[in-house]
Amino acid sequence: MRCGTSTRRPQKGTRVNNMDAIDIVKSNYIKELLSKGIREDMRKVSDFRKIKITPNVIQNAEGSAQVDLGATRVLAGVKIDLGEPMEDTPKEGTVAMSAELLPLASADYEAGPPSPEAIELARVVDRGIRAGACIDTADLFLEEGKVWNVYVDIYVLNYYGNLFDASELAAMAALMNTKVPAYADGKAVRTDRSKPLKLNNIVTSATFAKVDGHMLLDPDGNEEAACSTRLTVATDGKKLRALQKGLGGSFNVKEVEEMVDMAMSKHEELKKHLESAR
Amino acid sequence: MGSKANRPELIVDGKRLDGRALDELRPLKIEASVLKNADGSAYLEWGNNKVLAAVYGPVETQPKHMADPSKAIIKCRYAMAPFSSLEEHGRTGPNRRATEISKVTKEAFENVVLLNEFPGSMINIFIEILQSDGGTRVAGITAAAVALASAGIHMKDLIYAVAIGKVGDALILDQNMIEDNYSDADMPIAIAPRNNDVLFLQMDGDFSKEELKRSIDMAIESGKVISKVQKDALRHVYQKAAERYESE
Amino acid sequence: MKNIVLPGDNLPEINGRSPYAYTEEGKNYAMVLGVYDAERQSIVPLEGVWNPRLEETVVGIVTSVKNSVYEVDLRFYGRALIIGGKFERFSFKIGDVVEATIKNIEDRKTIILSFPRLLSGGTLITVKPAKIPRVIGKDNTMIKQIAESANSRIVVGKNGLIWIKDGNVALATEAILRIQEEAHVSGLTERIKKMMENNAR
Repeated sequence: MRCGTSTRRPQKGTRVNNMDAIDIVKSNYIKELLSKGIREDMRKVSDFRKIKITPNVIQNAEGSAQVDLGATRVLAGVKIDLGEPMEDTPKEGTVAMSAELLPLASADYEAGPPSPEAIELARVVDRGIRAGACIDTADLFLEEGKVWNVYVDIYVLNYYGNLFDASELAAMAALMNTKVPAYADGKAVRTDRSKPLKLNNIVTSATFAKVDGHMLLDPDGNEEAACSTRLTVATDGKKLRALQKGLGGSFNVKEVEEMVDMAMSKHEELKKHLESAR
Repeated sequence: MGSKANRPELIVDGKRLDGRALDELRPLKIEASVLKNADGSAYLEWGNNKVLAAVYGPVETQPKHMADPSKAIIKCRYAMAPFSSLEEHGRTGPNRRATEISKVTKEAFENVVLLNEFPGSMINIFIEILQSDGGTRVAGITAAAVALASAGIHMKDLIYAVAIGKVGDALILDQNMIEDNYSDADMPIAIAPRNNDVLFLQMDGDFSKEELKRSIDMAIESGKVISKVQKDALRHVYQKAAERYESE
Repeated sequence: MKNIVLPGDNLPEINGRSPYAYTEEGKNYAMVLGVYDAERQSIVPLEGVWNPRLEETVVGIVTSVKNSVYEVDLRFYGRALIIGGKFERFSFKIGDVVEATIKNIEDRKTIILSFPRLLSGGTLITVKPAKIPRVIGKDNTMIKQIAESANSRIVVGKNGLIWIKDGNVALATEAILRIQEEAHVSGLTERIKKMMENNAR
């Protein structure tokens, strides 16, 4: 499974599957290059790949955006339905986030119920946006027992590393371009979608892969195949909003601090991308 | 199908709600080879439908016991994105409708793909409806045919699909969502343009034998346009590289 | 004149042995997306899976070892095996990259390999098998030129896996991927030559 979520170390006498075999050769090459201080595509360790955000690609949705991060492509769609509040927050709307690793995005993805990797992806993106209080859920209250339910669906269309940051950007960009339907006679009026979704904050994330002691920002597919561990840092530029360490390896405290600094310093650059796609 | 009682006037003075003539297609746009990882792919916009189709294969059959040593097998997934509709958020995961469409789509392609060329292998077709506006199954087949060709899969023909509907006594070509909801009949059909063989056919509603015949003729006539868009999309990929060279 | 043809396209003339065309009721049709060569009356496919032939050189990765039978991943839907014996002993490990020659093909999907050679270090790039003939070039001219200019060691497998080691791997990779993109365009040799010369300086 290529979501940067597992490391493959073939053991003697066992059989590795075909995709893994090529990953092993490529990861050895990635490590060999890194020992000379070079990344495969000549990027600095602190560089993102080229970012392209295309807003409003799905007009039927209340909001949408496609993000290209290098060769990784993610589409996020937002739907807003009339519904009920959660019991403990009767005066607030709800937000639900999910992600699908579509089988057309990679030869390694299979059709079927969401994999643990897809669920982790959705939950990490959700945590950053929720903890950053990006969506003004109080503004989604309509009347006693009636609120707007916001659904954000992340669709991975092509995998080549770092789904976390691509998805965080896609979800955020889609929300920033979301229009809430009008509410009349107890019904949603989707023909009248003029009110922007009220947002109070913008959160971005930066994901690092650790390969032989090197911390690589925005790992591509081969670098994820080579990495021992991974850290995602979501921030609004002032505070940390979510952290997720993934995979089997470990970081030392100094490494974590360095990555957090880097993530916070990258926030403005990512925010600019989001705002120019508004 | 919506109830006829509250049906809007779908045809006024021989024109449809969106201004089309009865036998007029919605605007159709196809781009081939749009996804990097897939062996073949196509992105299609047909009216407000937006469809992504991709092909992986021929690859080793998984699970292994499903392999047919004499020929390739085809697997097909048709799925609708939960944000694809103008209405409420859709349920995720395959439902009965999507499962049936996946099955008949697969069967349409089994009749044109030269399965004997790749014994023991598996060809995966993935159709994702990103935005829906009526006729998504025929849009899916039309896109998947381009994706298969762009993957270099051996086929007898590049097939297309289109739907014909009926409103009152009138037959209409390529219904959109509103027409689909209120029409008296709906007939999606897939055709091999080389010999006009029918590879996929469904119908529900109310059709006379004569209307069926006229509908098929209408589909074949529109197929000339659809086929051309499909072929242009594939040729364009290779012409683009040639032009890039000439401009250097 | 070379034309792009698509499955189902009617062809004026076709060489009876072309594997990419079929005849029905006296008419010839293309089976794949390809370029029709009127002179040779045949189709050269532009895309598609590799069609293994005897004596071809392939590059693959050892994925299992059992009683001196090595299974090799060639990125092909069938299987490929190196069979060791009394007189031919090999000692490959899982994950080893090997170059080999096709000795036999059984049922069109089981490939028996001979003369395996270990390719140690370096990296692999994957290229669409239909583009491999252009990467190699007439009498190996194209690949020789790339290897010399980049100062790299390159082994091209007909199955679409290319092994590259040493020198300017990035430049060699870029050149090969460019050939993949523009394989059907004429004047390719000159263009790649220019590209390599410009970068070698």
